[in-house]
This record gives sequence, C-alpha cells and structure tokens, in this order.
Amino acid sequence: MPLALSARLSLKRFTKGEAAQHTAIKLNHRRIFVLPNKAGLTLAIIILLMLVASINYNNSMGFVFTFLLAAAAQASAFYCFKNLSGLVVSLTKTPNYYAGSTGYINLDIKETGERQRWAIHAAHLNQLKTFDIAKDLLLSIKIPIKLKHRGWYTPSTITLSTSFPFGLFRAWSPLLFKQPILVYPQAIDMGLPLNFQLFSKEQNKLQSQQLGTDDFAGLKPYQQGHNYRHINWKAFAAEKGLFSNEFNAEQSASIWLDWQSCQPLALEEKISQLCFWVLQCESQGLEYGLRLPNIELAPSHGAAHQHACLKKLALFEPI
Amino acid sequence: MLIKPNLIKLLIAIGVLLIVPHIASLPTSFILIAFTLLVWRALTLWIPKTLPNKWLLLPLAIGLGFFVLKTYGMSLGRDASSSLLILLMGLKLLESRTARDAQAVIYMSFFILITPFLFEQQITIALYALFIFYLLLLALVINNTQSESLINPPLLRLSGFVLLQSLPLMLIFFVLFPRMVGPLWAMPDEQSAISGISNTINPGSVSNLALSDETAFRVRFNSPAPPQKDLYWRGPVFWETNGQSWTLTPPKQDSFKQATPLAEKKSDIHYTLMMEPHHQFWLYALDIPASAPKTARLTHDHQLVLANKLSRNISFDIRSTTQEVITKLSDNDLKRALKVPDNIDPRTFALANSWVKTSPDKSAIVKRALLFFNNEFYYTLKPPSLGKNPVAKFLFETKRGFCGHFATSFATLMRIAGIPTRLIGGYQGGVYNKVGDFYNIRQADAHVWTEVWLADKGWLRVDPTAAIAPNRIEHSIDPSLQRINSDINFLLNPPEGIHEWIQQIKWGINSFDYYWQNAVLAYGPEKQLNFLSGFGILDWVDMVKWLAILSVLTLIIFLSVILIRQNQTHDPVQKAYLAFCKKYAKKFGVHLPHETATDYFNRAIKNYPEKTEQLKTLKTLYLNTRYGKAAEQVFIQGVKHFKL
Repeated sequence: MPLALSARLSLKRFTKGEAAQHTAIKLNHRRIFVLPNKAGLTLAIIILLMLVASINYNNSMGFVFTFLLAAAAQASAFYCFKNLSGLVVSLTKTPNYYAGSTGYINLDIKETGERQRWAIHAAHLNQLKTFDIAKDLLLSIKIPIKLKHRGWYTPSTITLSTSFPFGLFRAWSPLLFKQPILVYPQAIDMGLPLNFQLFSKEQNKLQSQQLGTDDFAGLKPYQQGHNYRHINWKAFAAEKGLFSNEFNAEQSASIWLDWQSCQPLALEEKISQLCFWVLQCESQGLEYGLRLPNIELAPSHGAAHQHACLKKLALFEPI
Repeated sequence: MLIKPNLIKLLIAIGVLLIVPHIASLPTSFILIAFTLLVWRALTLWIPKTLPNKWLLLPLAIGLGFFVLKTYGMSLGRDASSSLLILLMGLKLLESRTARDAQAVIYMSFFILITPFLFEQQITIALYALFIFYLLLLALVINNTQSESLINPPLLRLSGFVLLQSLPLMLIFFVLFPRMVGPLWAMPDEQSAISGISNTINPGSVSNLALSDETAFRVRFNSPAPPQKDLYWRGPVFWETNGQSWTLTPPKQDSFKQATPLAEKKSDIHYTLMMEPHHQFWLYALDIPASAPKTARLTHDHQLVLANKLSRNISFDIRSTTQEVITKLSDNDLKRALKVPDNIDPRTFALANSWVKTSPDKSAIVKRALLFFNNEFYYTLKPPSLGKNPVAKFLFETKRGFCGHFATSFATLMRIAGIPTRLIGGYQGGVYNKVGDFYNIRQADAHVWTEVWLADKGWLRVDPTAAIAPNRIEHSIDPSLQRINSDINFLLNPPEGIHEWIQQIKWGINSFDYYWQNAVLAYGPEKQLNFLSGFGILDWVDMVKWLAILSVLTLIIFLSVILIRQNQTHDPVQKAYLAFCKKYAKKFGVHLPHETATDYFNRAIKNYPEKTEQLKTLKTLYLNTRYGKAAEQVFIQGVKHFKL
C-alpha cells in the first residue's frame, strides 16, 4: 500500500506509526527508522578525538584504527536495521479481561526466514519486553496493560526497537493495530438484592435442591462448558464416563437481571452490579436474562450467553 | 541493566592487553598502578565486598590525577595522556556497575588502542591492536545483547563480519582523507629515545651503536648502486670541538644561501631513502647530496636539514653524486676548520709538527698521518676508557679504538698541522636485501669520518678507519656475532645451508617491514599528494569529493546487498497464497491474522457461492501442500487460473 507524500513526510509516522492495520505487519524499510542514540553520539565524539590525535601526530596507524572504528560503527547501523527488518508482527486474540485488572496484549512475532534476532525491545506505553528470536519461528510476547475502563480498549502504538549490535544506533518501528480488546465491566457486588426473591441466600439453597431433585430430566454426555456442579459424579464413580445432569429448562426458573432493580446506584455501579450478577448466575448454573434500557437479552445460560451479556454491559452507553 | 560478570572478565583481559605495549615506554609506577587497578577489579568478582564505593574512588582518582600532573607537568603530551588514560580506564572499570559504565570503558579502550602507535608503529603492534579491536567489538556486542556467555558463536562471527565489512571504508578514508602538514598544536617535547648519531660526538659514542641491529633507514636505488665501499651516508657535519667532544652547531641562514645544488645531469645517483623517525633535524644522504628533497634544505657543507625533528616515517627522493665537487672555503669557515682546542697535550702538538716539518705538502701530511694510524693502531669495539684528554691518551697510550677514536684524533692532528678539517657523522655501508631489492642501513653501520680541505682538491673525504680496518669499509659489521673485548666480526662470507634459509627469512621479514613503512607508515601529506596525483586528484577539495563519492558508493553497495537478500521469499506456495489473498482482498475481505486458511476459504465461498467448486479445490490443494503431499505447482497453477 503506497503512501501519499504528505503521509510519508508526516512526523507521526516516525513516532506513532502508520495508519492502524488489522492484519499482520511486515517490517520493511518503510517502517523501520534508524538514528544514532546517545551512546552513538558519544562514540562520535570519541572518534573525533581520536582523529584529532592522529592528525596532530600525523600517525598512520592512528588514522587506520580511527577510520576502522568509524567504519565499524557505521556498519553496525546496517546490522541494527537487519535485526528488525523482515519480522512479521501481528496481534492475536486475547481472552477478555475485566476492567481494573491487568490484561495482556498478545504480540506474535514471526521470523519468516531463519535469521537470528537479538535483543529486540517491544514497548507499549511504559511497558517494555526484551526478547531474542533464536531459531524460533514464532514468538509470542505478552505485554501487560492496565485496563481501567470497560468497553473497547485500543492498543496504542507498539514500538519494536533494537540497539543491536553495538548500542550505537537505535532502529525502531512504531506499529498501530486496529484490533481493539473488549474489556468487560468490573464485577462488583454493591450489596443490592436481586429482584428475584428466590435469590436470597437461604432460599438459594432451597432453590437448588428443588432444581436438583424435581426438575431432573435425564443425563447427557458432558461437554466442555457445562457447569461442573451438574456433573453426575455417581455415574463417573461407576466408571460410566462423564455425564451432566440435565434439567428441564422450562421448569427451572429464569432470573431477570434488570437495570431497574439497580435504581439507587450510579451508572457505573449499576453496570458493575449487573456484571457481578451475570457471573454469579452463570457460575450457579442458572438461566438469566438481561434487561438494559432499550436492550433485552432473553434468559439463557452458557459461555456464549455470558459473553453476550457482558459485551452488552461493557459497551452500554446511556442515552 | 547491570554489567555482566563475564563482560568484566573480558574488559579486564582487554585492559591488560592494552597496557602491555606501554610497559617499555611509560614509567613503571604507572604501569604497576594500572595493573593493580585491574587486579583489584578482578578480585571483586570473587569477593564482591572489595568493590570500592565512590568515597574511596573519588580521592583515589584525584590522587592519581595529581601524580600524573606531578610527573609530566601541565602539558598533555603523548606520555602524559597515555598514562592518564590507562589509569582512568582502571578507575572506570572499578566504578562500573551498569551496562552504560561498561560502554564507557569500551570507548576509553578504543582511544587507548591508538596510543601505543604514538611510540612505535611496527606491523606486529598493528596486528596485535587489530586483535584487541576485535575483542572490543565483541565486548560491545555482549554489552548490548542478553548473551551472558562470551563464547557465543553467532556473536563471535558477527563481530568478525563487522570488522571485515569496515575494511573497505577504512581503506577509502585512509587513502583519501586529506592529511595535514604539521601538528595542530605545539606538542611538548617528548623524551623519545634518540637512536643513532647524536649531536655530540666523542671518541666512544659510536661504538655503542655497533651492537644494534635496528634499522636506521632503508635505501632503494633507482640507478645502479655504487660499490659497498663508497656507501658513505652523510649526516651532521661537526666543526666545533673542545678537545673532548665535537658538537653540532645548527646551520645558520647563510649556510642555506651559500649551498650550491647540482644540476640533475651532474648527479648520477637517484634513490629513495626511507627514514625511521630518529627525532633529529638532519637527514642522511649518500655523499655528496646534489640537491635537497622537497621538505629538506641543503647547507653549504652538504647537510640535509629538515624544518622539524623527524618524528614519523617519511620517505625522500634524493639525488647524489660520487664525483668530487670543488667548493670554496670562506674565511669564516677556514677559521672554524682550523680552530684547535686550548687543552691539547704537547705530545700531540709535537707529533703533528714533526709531520709538517718532514712533508713536502699538505696531502703528504695526510698520507703520513694515515700511515701512522695503519702501523700502530688496533681496531676494537670495546676500547679502554680515555681520561680528560682523550686524543693524547688514545694516540700515545691506549692505541685501541673504534671509528670515533680515529676520526676525532685524526681531525685534531690535521687541524694542528694547519689543514682545515671537519668531522662527518653518518653511516657507512648497509646490508643489501635481495628479496626487497633495497639496502638496509642499521645502527651498527654508524660511522664517523673526516673531511680535509686541500687547496687544489677542495673538501676531500679521509676515513682513517679505512686505513686501519679496511674490512670495515668493504663489509658491514655483523652485530649478532659481536663479543665484548674480542675481534670485530664482519659479514664476510655468504651464509650456507640452514643459515642461508634463515637469512632469506630475515630478508623477507625485513622487506615486508620495508613495504609496510613505505606504503603505510610513510603515507603522510607529501606521499598522499604524490600518490593521488597519479589518479588526477590534486588538492584536498578533490580528495573530499572523491572521499564522499566512494564512501557513499560503498554504503549503497552494502545497503543493496542487504535489501536484495531480505526480499528473497523462500516458499513458493506461501508466496502464491499471499498473492491470492492480496489480489482478492477487496472481494473476500482482508485475510485476518487469526484466520486459518480454511476459515478464509469458507468466507470466500460464502461471499461467492457460484465459485464454490473452484475455491474448495484451492482450499484442499493448499492444505495438502501444507500438511499432506501435494505438488506445489498444482496449487500455484490453480491460483493462477482462478478468476472471479
């Protein structure tokens, strides 16, 4: 994808990176910049001093080694560039995190040839990871991120940089990815009772028992994602394999997690409370539905349903 | 980032290697302190408690700084800066705790690397320094990677590659970087060991040199070489004596004005003379120099005088003549050449006067005197010491001596006899190197002879040593065979058998050294202009221009090699697949990073159900090339023929 002249010359390209992309990015000469760093400039002064001494004493071997050092320093700029170029960088899917926790950006770095790379730093905001790629063809780097708010979290510029081999030049490549991470709301129990009366603590037990005995509908083979509380341990102990108890869906009561029931709370508190309830209901194996202003999710359960609920909560914007 | 323990070990080793070439040239106290600092740092590796803190290091640094100041004074010359640098390197290493400190130590080491060359520039030291240079590059790499081990083959290889890769650019700069004449600032007068003839001659001074195999200068003749016995290499001319020693008075302006250079056709011998730095103002030339080379001036008594002391290797193209040149003798020079010191022994007077009385003319006196030496004297390297009146004691008591004894006493006798005489210091002979086709004139060839002025012949060379020991003039002294208090050995017979081989090897090494000196070390402002004018590069503007062009060209070549090698894709199937994805990105949507090939094709089929068959075939083909055993070409052809 060629760049327009204005984009090519914009300062942002050097610091923030080119326009965000949701595919893998291959580091090439357009994306890698090389400049001498502080240590490189210091060496330049040393080389200058060596040159002055050589000129002053008109010393041939002094000249030879001064120029050799300068040439080696110069050559190191190529190696610095080579250390980054050709890497293919992509963001991979991350599990969804909850606001307030520390999440990770998963960076996949792929060496398409079989070159060895040394001491590459991957930086995102204030976090820095240093790694070598020694014959591994694919390397996953996890960069921790502080997730403060629910909603879409867009990673800011990820900068790959290296000062290899001599620490005189810094080659860097700022990368922007268009792969936002969904951040669920923080689950906080604000102490509100669920409007569904069954859900006070003692009755909860009662309810479970009722569900466990009366509404038992049969067994079905265990699948990942089934609530472990529903595993039929008797069958398992009898070495019949793993089975889940199936309950009659129509008979089990469904709970509505309702925005209205959180009325006394502030907006974010409401969402946190609802989020807490979603997680609680899911772990209890209950069927639950979600009612938000203008949004309604029919009662259900399972990982997909939980994700749908949490996503609605994460992205909820009051009108 | 903390400094790596293994890197400290490497830096200590480099430090030791850097100090070793200085052992001979710097005061022992500094060498010992520098070694102590390194040993101390090594100790801290095993006993971390001994690592000094800054409250100990700071006074130590100040103290050592004062020590250097006290030894050398305020001037920051070659010796002072070398001493200071090796101490600072040790101190910095003691203080180093982080990778950044290590970087600073490495930088200092690079500077220290060139300091031995201010003392000596032999090829052995250059190769030694090249090895240290490689180690320093390795230290830089280790310091800037996560490698804990020093022996990491890819990194060892990389340091070597960088070194090799920097050679072309270094050569371009070495040849084309404009050299300047003269120092940028006045350097303090360093106490370099003056080798060879000094500016005072006393009877015994030359015999000390006879044991030295060191090269004084080398000569390559561009015209037929004169016979060995005519190889008198003329240096300083001595007029003044106090009876004990002869001292050189620097030539005055008049002397340069009265000089009479000869026309080119009258000078029959052309040669290139490659001087080793001897830290003196004069140059040596085959007797008699016809004219001065570019950077030197000719005096009326045929000395070649430089503007500055010679502190580096320079080669000179000189013309000389072996024909007699008749010169006039001014009244002033007559007075100088006849001045007899006051404290001459009466016996000396009596001897000279007896010759005057019995000889018909002045040339007869000279002959008489030579006969006198020939009859009664003995040529030896270790003559007995002479007292306050060396001439008389030598002539009448010891009668054993070296060329210095003969020349000084002969000159004194001639002056008493009323013949104007001067003393010439220089070298005689030289060893011909068959391998390199040049004469190697060694310190052992140092010689002193005289010139007398006869009215009809002008200044005439008289070498009393030749009268006593003709062998000395026909053959060179062999320093390797000299024994104290024994006969002098000459290089008489060509060696045989294994000795011949040894000689061949010696010649080979010496020739290599000659080329090294001539091509590399002597490459200064004069030689650079001379060399580059052959390519049409005439001044420094041209040099800078070509320097820029050639270095940019080199960089472009390196860069294009890197870019070409990087763009080579290795896997044809992957190449075709990616090209396919790129081509249909707008229609099927971009290939997402988390998508597998199956996902991608399924998505494409969903978008274009009418192409289901073809897409399915492509998918299967692709998966089979990846995971099964399908022919790569089939998939590539399939991709080629696919059309929407």
